[in-house]
Amino acid sequence: LSGSPSAGHRALIGVGIAAAVALWIYAFLQLWQTSVPSDLSLPALDPAHYFSQAQIDRASSYQTFLSVDALLALIAQLVALGIYAIKGPGFTRESAAGRIGTGMLLGMLGLAFVWFSQLPFGLAELWWERKHEVSSQGYVTWLIDYFLAAGGEFLFISLALLIVMALTGLWKRWWWVAAAPALVAVTLAFAFVQPYLIPGQHDVHNPAIAADAREIAKQEGIPGTKVTIQDTHNLGGSPNAEATGLGPTKRVILWDTLVQRFPVSQVRVVLAHEFAHLSRDHLWKSFGFMALLALPIALAVALITRRRGGLYEPASVPLAIFVVAVLLFVTLPLQTAFTRRLESEADWVALNTTRDPAAMTGLFERLGRLSRAQPNPPGWDQFIFGDHPSVMQRIEMAKAWKERNP
Amino acid sequence: MTGEESAAPTPAGEPPAESSAQPPAYPPPAEPPAPPGGGQPPDRARVFVRDDLHRSRLTVFFRLILAIPHFIVLALFGILAFVLAIVSWFAILFTGKSVGYDMQTRYLRYWTHVYAYVYLAANPYPGFGGEPDSYPVDAVVPPEELPHNRWKTGFRFVLIVPALIMASTLGTIGSLGGSYGNYYSYGFAFSGVLPTAAFLAWFACVIRGRMPRGFRDLAAYCLNYGLQLGAYFLLITDRYPTSDPLYPDYGDGDEIPTDHPIRISEDDDLRRSRLTVFFRGLLALPHIIWLLLWGLVVFFTVVANWFVTLFAGRPADALHRFNGAYVRYLTHVFAYLFLVANPFPGFVGAPGTYPVDLQIAPPERQNRWRTGFRLILVFPAALVAGALGGALYTVGIFGWFVGLFTARMPVGLRNLGVFALRYQAQVNGYVYLLTDRYPFSGPTLEQPPPEAASLPEPA
Repeated sequence: LSGSPSAGHRALIGVGIAAAVALWIYAFLQLWQTSVPSDLSLPALDPAHYFSQAQIDRASSYQTFLSVDALLALIAQLVALGIYAIKGPGFTRESAAGRIGTGMLLGMLGLAFVWFSQLPFGLAELWWERKHEVSSQGYVTWLIDYFLAAGGEFLFISLALLIVMALTGLWKRWWWVAAAPALVAVTLAFAFVQPYLIPGQHDVHNPAIAADAREIAKQEGIPGTKVTIQDTHNLGGSPNAEATGLGPTKRVILWDTLVQRFPVSQVRVVLAHEFAHLSRDHLWKSFGFMALLALPIALAVALITRRRGGLYEPASVPLAIFVVAVLLFVTLPLQTAFTRRLESEADWVALNTTRDPAAMTGLFERLGRLSRAQPNPPGWDQFIFGDHPSVMQRIEMAKAWKERNP
Repeated sequence: MTGEESAAPTPAGEPPAESSAQPPAYPPPAEPPAPPGGGQPPDRARVFVRDDLHRSRLTVFFRLILAIPHFIVLALFGILAFVLAIVSWFAILFTGKSVGYDMQTRYLRYWTHVYAYVYLAANPYPGFGGEPDSYPVDAVVPPEELPHNRWKTGFRFVLIVPALIMASTLGTIGSLGGSYGNYYSYGFAFSGVLPTAAFLAWFACVIRGRMPRGFRDLAAYCLNYGLQLGAYFLLITDRYPTSDPLYPDYGDGDEIPTDHPIRISEDDDLRRSRLTVFFRGLLALPHIIWLLLWGLVVFFTVVANWFVTLFAGRPADALHRFNGAYVRYLTHVFAYLFLVANPFPGFVGAPGTYPVDLQIAPPERQNRWRTGFRLILVFPAALVAGALGGALYTVGIFGWFVGLFTARMPVGLRNLGVFALRYQAQVNGYVYLLTDRYPFSGPTLEQPPPEAASLPEPA
């Protein structure tokens, strides 16, 4: 009864931890599974067959700048948050709010530090995109958008800290167990309403595309799924599409630039790809993955901030944000690898649905040219930032599918 | 000129004196008291008021028409003052000394008299000479400080822009424009705090024959700003106009409702954090969302409280506390959003937790008629609150720039913000049935009553 745990108690804790780790790994492996055949080997294709050398060189120069800029931005963010972890507690004097309100303020100010740290890199990226005519957005518009976007982030972190710090009031030591699912629940709620927050949407007016959408949705087992067109022609950038929403709010959104500039066969591939995200529950898988990551991160935050009184104390918030940022940075390759697998699966399902590898090849050739994507980016770039398969990997998948389905 | 129109101020409650052969004198205070809050030199142009609030219904009814001769003289005088200002501009740049100081001060004094008359801040028909101490609302222009700063003079047309914006918010720029502005500035004459107060005061004066003290002080405050702007524009002084509502001398403390159930207190040190200033609008977002959510509930509690107050004659304690906390929280959040205070406020509107705070009296009996028709009765106050809301926005925008560069809030802007917040809180308190006392529109509620010895005896 000296206060230190007995050997049996320690063994029990050890078993519990081992069981939790095993459960975590099992859940992770379940999420890692996709319907892409495990024995699928992609043929090594020569980018020169699809892109001219000049295009490849231009894309290489273009993407290298952006990747280096993004890497430097990440490092700058960590440095800014590191400084904030030291200086941030001083900002408690700027608050007349209680414990949770002060924590919210410190959380938002942490993001304010990040905002400043990212500003030069964002401007550099915009300058580069304008120089290569990938973006036509003005600097002032960008600055305003960038500033306003911080508002959404401020709200999110306020809500997150409200939940977490309220939980620390209930369970000072074990708050992290409840925090991870609570935060995922908030993200789920946001994902549920997100389709209504995307501006400039309207129904599909092109009857051919509308008919294709109905047919593909039916083929993929999600009949009746809504498809809308988003007006993005004023925003610049290459054409895109997205699958969003949960349950009754889920929908596929096609950018009007895609519908207007691409042949119907290629739009069909995009539709099939986005429907695949919905039919294969990729959003749910992403949330599951997020929950798996959130749990150990929350534990790490709880352990590291303990010396400052834990997250119960608002002065710990700057350090907590820094810890989260570092852990997210460290796990970034894992996150991008997970997303790449989901994208690969969506491509594979799209091929099975449309049975048109030529259309997919044409689609990615064209998208690659428009976005000046490197056909085969360097390994480090793909390892850190590659949340989609590279252009050549996607073309190679189309080729592999064709070989399997002659 | 009738006796009523030329009346000297009398002690409150006494009828105005009958006509006299000699023009009455309205002496300024021997030494203007330093404004509370500090930070401002006492030698700026300043309006002082020695008015007894009595108004002639007849002259009020025809006030604008009666003022036409003054408008003509003022316009001619204004052209002369403008030309003199241009000459003065060159003179200061070369010699450091202005030209025609006495004439410019006379013009400004005359301008103050005329617009005090037009905007019902005073009753007697003003003279055409702009004589000192000749009118109940008069202007004191300090002696010229020599030499003038050449840089401030050279760039005066740029430096004056924020003051012009503030003046347009307060509604004084239109009246100045009538003198030496351009054609378009006439449009401003029908918006802003001063015209709103005068418009409402016109009805009050015609009906009651008496100017509400709040409107009179509000008009004097706006005129004070216009006076300072004029002094700055005409190169009489290098001192920038202060928007501090506590700066003018409003005279005695009669009819100031110092026992109003909703009061504001301010304990702000003027320090501002540059980081939180830069992101102030975004940092306030959680509060704004919480305000909206809380406001949805408050809508129902106010309706419930309306029925309770109507039938029981006094609000329910619990509803009074709940709605009072909301009004206090609203004040905290707006003080934060518009940079009237620095710290991030709490989310519950607890008393005593914020530098700009509301004191709300416990529930008391309320008049059932005033309760029943509250939404109609509040309409004039809502108009003034809207106009002061514009001033609050201007405070926030200017405070943002100044706070970002200097990490401090100018005391004048802060005090104007406190005044606007207090008035809006009183309007909210009136609507939410926290009290049946009408909001007081004068800035003087925030001003400690002056020492009796320092006030001059009326003539």
